[in-house]
Amino acid sequence: MQKDSENNAFHKTFATFSLVFLIITFSSISTEWNRMTSELVDEADNPHYGLPDIWDDKQVVCFHFPANSAPSGLDDGRHHFDFDGTDFKTDKDWNETGGCVGGFENFNNGLDLLNAAIEATGSTFLINSTEFSFGLQIDSIAGVEPCKVYQCASDGASGAWWALLHNGAYSIVGISDLVLDVDSVLTWQITSY
Amino acid sequence: MIDAHAVNLGPYGLLLVNLTLLSVIGWALWKTERNLSSQSDTIVLFLLGVFAVSGRILLEPIPNVQPVTVIILMSGIYFGVTRSIILATSVALISNLFLGHGLWTLYQAFGWSLVGVIGALLSNKLHSKNITSNTPLMVLAAFCAFIFDWIVSLSVLHTLGPNLLFVYIISGIPFDLLHAIGNMFFVAWLASPLSEIMMRHLTVTKPLAVKELVKNRV
Repeated sequence: MQKDSENNAFHKTFATFSLVFLIITFSSISTEWNRMTSELVDEADNPHYGLPDIWDDKQVVCFHFPANSAPSGLDDGRHHFDFDGTDFKTDKDWNETGGCVGGFENFNNGLDLLNAAIEATGSTFLINSTEFSFGLQIDSIAGVEPCKVYQCASDGASGAWWALLHNGAYSIVGISDLVLDVDSVLTWQITSY
Repeated sequence: MIDAHAVNLGPYGLLLVNLTLLSVIGWALWKTERNLSSQSDTIVLFLLGVFAVSGRILLEPIPNVQPVTVIILMSGIYFGVTRSIILATSVALISNLFLGHGLWTLYQAFGWSLVGVIGALLSNKLHSKNITSNTPLMVLAAFCAFIFDWIVSLSVLHTLGPNLLFVYIISGIPFDLLHAIGNMFFVAWLASPLSEIMMRHLTVTKPLAVKELVKNRV
């Protein structure tokens, strides 16, 4: 009986210390783990392809809208905004409409870079989001809601959402947990099923 | 006008408030259970559900640490498959009305139901040697954390596709680990009082009879 009591006391101490230790170190563990596992994803050979040369080795955020649903002023090709908000180039031959904000450096977290890109361009790419227990869900970008562009059935048979790509590949973690490279290219685009 | 309630607690302050609330809820439920007549397992399931939902919502600031998995596992062990499934699906739905309801609720309900089924299937083994140590239950609860998380991860098949599923599961291992250690914590602290409560409301109170009881209730 006394042995059981000692055993349970050991369990309580062990479990409590383990949990507290893991919670305290979780942010570091998670960041490093994300950095390692991101290597397992096949990224685009050159995610900077089509972007201005001055953004080579810099961080970029792109917002791609469906051609018939792009906000006014962004529907004539892909606009390029520098980190200070200057719209310095429009690529009318690019096969996507919207805009990219680039020239950023030294951002480690995806959400920080996204916020910087939104702030740099004023009200151009304002985002509405909902915070769930598993992270942020983007509801609309520049007023464009996926389910107003594509059909979203109430029974889940079809749907659409703002998807996040990191260096040309679908991100396996949310924007809040995304660990960036020095030249990361984040792309938001609507994906449907 | 002064807004007397507008106190910025910060994340740690809010977590402390939540833990206090959860302790009060747990204490009140425990006192309520004391006044229940025996063999009223439906009311006990309701009380456990209230604690599970409250625990999941109030501990939301700590990722993947909540008492739901352990409560459902123990419900499976003591009350059987069907009752644990009722508890699992209800807790998933009701807590997600606060935390965010969507397609993932279905996977969470299925994952927790499976945890209850695992508990029911292993109930006899967990009692067969009259084990009073929490070690086997702690190991099982840690295992169930991974099972539950991987089932919920299947929901990404709707968005990322099968080729990224493996990478997605691997990338979530730190969260799985947090869930597993959290479950061990809840087993260490809650298994004895919960066992006592559940045993009091079984129609047959002998531990060795649990298997028969579960069979009868499926």
